[in-house]
Amino acid sequence: MLSRVADNLYWFGRYLQRAENTARVVNVHANLLFDLPRKVQFGWEPLIDIFGADNGFNEHYNEYSEANVVRFLMIDARNQGSIVSSLNSAREILRTTRDHVQREVWEKLNDLYFYVQERGETAVTRSKRQEFLSRIIDGIQLIYGMLVSNMSHDVGFQFLRIGTNLEQADMTTRIIDVRSSNLFSTMSVEDLRPFQNIQWMSVLRSLTAYQMYRRHVRIRVTGASVLRFLLQNREFPRSITFCLNHIAFTLPLLPHNRAIERAVDRTRALVHDANLEKLSESGLHEFVDEIQIGLGAVHEAVQNAYFKV
Amino acid sequence: MAIDWQQYRCEEYHDELFQAAALPRAAAKQLTDYLDSLSTADLAERRLAAELAIKVMGVTFTVYSEGRNVDRAWPFDIIPRVIDRREWEKTEAGLKQRVAALNLFIQDLYGDQKIIKDKVFPAEVLADSVNFRPQCKGMTPPNGIWAHICGSDLVRGGDGTIYVLEDNLRVPSGVSYMLENRLVTKRVFPELFETTNILPVDDYPTQLFDMLAAMSPRPGDDPNIVLLTPGIYNSAYFEHCYLAQQMGIELVEGPDLTVGDDDCVYMRTIYGPRRVDVIYRRIDDLFLDPEAFNPDSVLGVKGLMRAWLKGKVALVNAPGAGVADDKVVYTFVPAMIKYYLGEEAILPNVPSFLCMDPKQRKYVIEHLDELVVKPANESGGYGMLIGPRSTKAEREKFRKLIEANPRNYMAQPTLSLSTAPTITDDGIEPRHLDLRPFILSRGDSTYVTTGGLTRVAMVKNSLVVNSSQGGGSKDTWIVDLENDMDPKSLIQIQSQQKKKNGSAA
Repeated sequence: MLSRVADNLYWFGRYLQRAENTARVVNVHANLLFDLPRKVQFGWEPLIDIFGADNGFNEHYNEYSEANVVRFLMIDARNQGSIVSSLNSAREILRTTRDHVQREVWEKLNDLYFYVQERGETAVTRSKRQEFLSRIIDGIQLIYGMLVSNMSHDVGFQFLRIGTNLEQADMTTRIIDVRSSNLFSTMSVEDLRPFQNIQWMSVLRSLTAYQMYRRHVRIRVTGASVLRFLLQNREFPRSITFCLNHIAFTLPLLPHNRAIERAVDRTRALVHDANLEKLSESGLHEFVDEIQIGLGAVHEAVQNAYFKV
Repeated sequence: MAIDWQQYRCEEYHDELFQAAALPRAAAKQLTDYLDSLSTADLAERRLAAELAIKVMGVTFTVYSEGRNVDRAWPFDIIPRVIDRREWEKTEAGLKQRVAALNLFIQDLYGDQKIIKDKVFPAEVLADSVNFRPQCKGMTPPNGIWAHICGSDLVRGGDGTIYVLEDNLRVPSGVSYMLENRLVTKRVFPELFETTNILPVDDYPTQLFDMLAAMSPRPGDDPNIVLLTPGIYNSAYFEHCYLAQQMGIELVEGPDLTVGDDDCVYMRTIYGPRRVDVIYRRIDDLFLDPEAFNPDSVLGVKGLMRAWLKGKVALVNAPGAGVADDKVVYTFVPAMIKYYLGEEAILPNVPSFLCMDPKQRKYVIEHLDELVVKPANESGGYGMLIGPRSTKAEREKFRKLIEANPRNYMAQPTLSLSTAPTITDDGIEPRHLDLRPFILSRGDSTYVTTGGLTRVAMVKNSLVVNSSQGGGSKDTWIVDLENDMDPKSLIQIQSQQKKKNGSAA
């Protein structure tokens, strides 16, 4: 397998996952806003924080209004991380690797890309947005389905899986980070009580984790238990431990490389040993930073081992 | 009867399927009889089936215009072009002879230049050649083969003679369409393949692979062969993917390859560097190696020429082979055949006037309105003057161009290219066409495709067949009449066909 092709498949996985997560996060955020008290000064800015896109956003917009933020994240081609940019990057990659991925995937991705281009503008308004985002999520899930069930699970496929899992782990950390920062600092403890769990539920919903969390945890939604689920659960596909475990399962199928194993093991240990009771009170942001550095190290190690030959 | 061949007006030019109105040539008779048996609705249905097959198979070519790169469906006419096997055998022999002489010529130019010393080929033509690569002087590639793959364009004139119009020795393209055209035709007219003895074309990828493998500098080993493409923005990218897939070799881009300190070429894989033995390159010479040629090239591989000159890697076609792919050099091919092989050319050239010769130049300038003027080194039909269709201003422009740089121009009489019946919006009409067969040379043997790619000018009276300029294509059948089936079986199949149609209606 050529390094360039492996590199492309890895990024193909990342871009698809990025587009899907972005669609979910935007969708859930609107729902969260409906449930919050009017006095909460809580707008659309945190969404830009999740994707670490403040600089890019401020370059082109001067207000964190719903329309601006939604446009920037969904259909602004100037934003490298927007849904339309991610789909376009995935599509450009597929053009050069079309001998490795079946033609149907190309057709479906093309469909989706043109849909986003044609309908994106109307989805800036609330009434059409839900349908638009659902179609994107469904479309990407369909592509995954086709990849998993029709593509040979050869070396190239393993790179796609590594990219997918690493991107998911990264997205999960971002969502935890922004959603869990204290949104309600302006409210008194008394006023806060009815809404305390809403923010944690929205963390779960951003990751379609609410139902699975309920099945696994069976206690009311608390900060520590949500963190435990999203960081350490071995069975939920968007938890960080699950994603790292899957990368680790994949490694024996590739040419052996100690540096990647070490980077994965170190990050897994970090996540596994976390004191969640304490983190749900304070220090979560710093901890999430540490995980992201660990994920960055895995990415670097993969690049160095296989792509920069 | 849907098609009335009586109405088909083929008298003006030589027609590939008909010798006179409603009188098909022997090799085409089964085809035209069969087409006769189809209703208008049948024919429209087959045409639609072909369009669908092309879309589903993803046969595309890329056009640069319209502001960006667009993949367009391959334009295809379902009525095949038919050539009698006996005639084809002669053509095939002529092509082999021609390519043999061309390879000897290229080897000579980069060696002792005997042909110039013996005054058969003028030194000044070589001096002004833009495709001569001084870097190749003194080199002898494996088996002395420079032009491993040659795509020669053939046309048939009004008298029925097949002429060679040009030889493409750099990176000739189109062979994937030849293969796909046959697959489409098999889907559209399966019945005809039961009854007519049509020689197969699908051997080409195997032949190509074997030829490439034979060029490996490490004989005996399982050679590592790659196809080097300029990337997705190249108009022939579809073909690059297609051939790489058909041969099961890696499709690589310049940055995938490096040349090591040992002067060997390596490709970057997830397993580490892997040595490459043979490169089927679809990049022009000047972009191959920034160290030897264009220093700005990002498509090529630094040090590739060094590796090739040391014999560590085979390049197909060899760098510098394009020196013989020049419309002025072309006029000397019959002389080369005589000089190197001591034979008369089996396939004639189109009669040509060289503008570098003062007498011929004078004639060309006086007859610009009758001639086709071509620059020595353009391809794809660009930069030509078609005299009879030109304006006065265009002729004036070419007069100046020729006088400024006579070596760069040659002229030919406007050919009355042969035609074949083609489905148009106004029914079945004759359209002009050419033929591009591909010749593979490995030194110990030469292979010629069975037929080749027939390109057809879809616009009425047009002579321009290039797909980038509105041309289409047809499947090309080499039909063997001597080993033919009993004609009765065809009639049986036809009557079954009619019965089926009858019961359906």
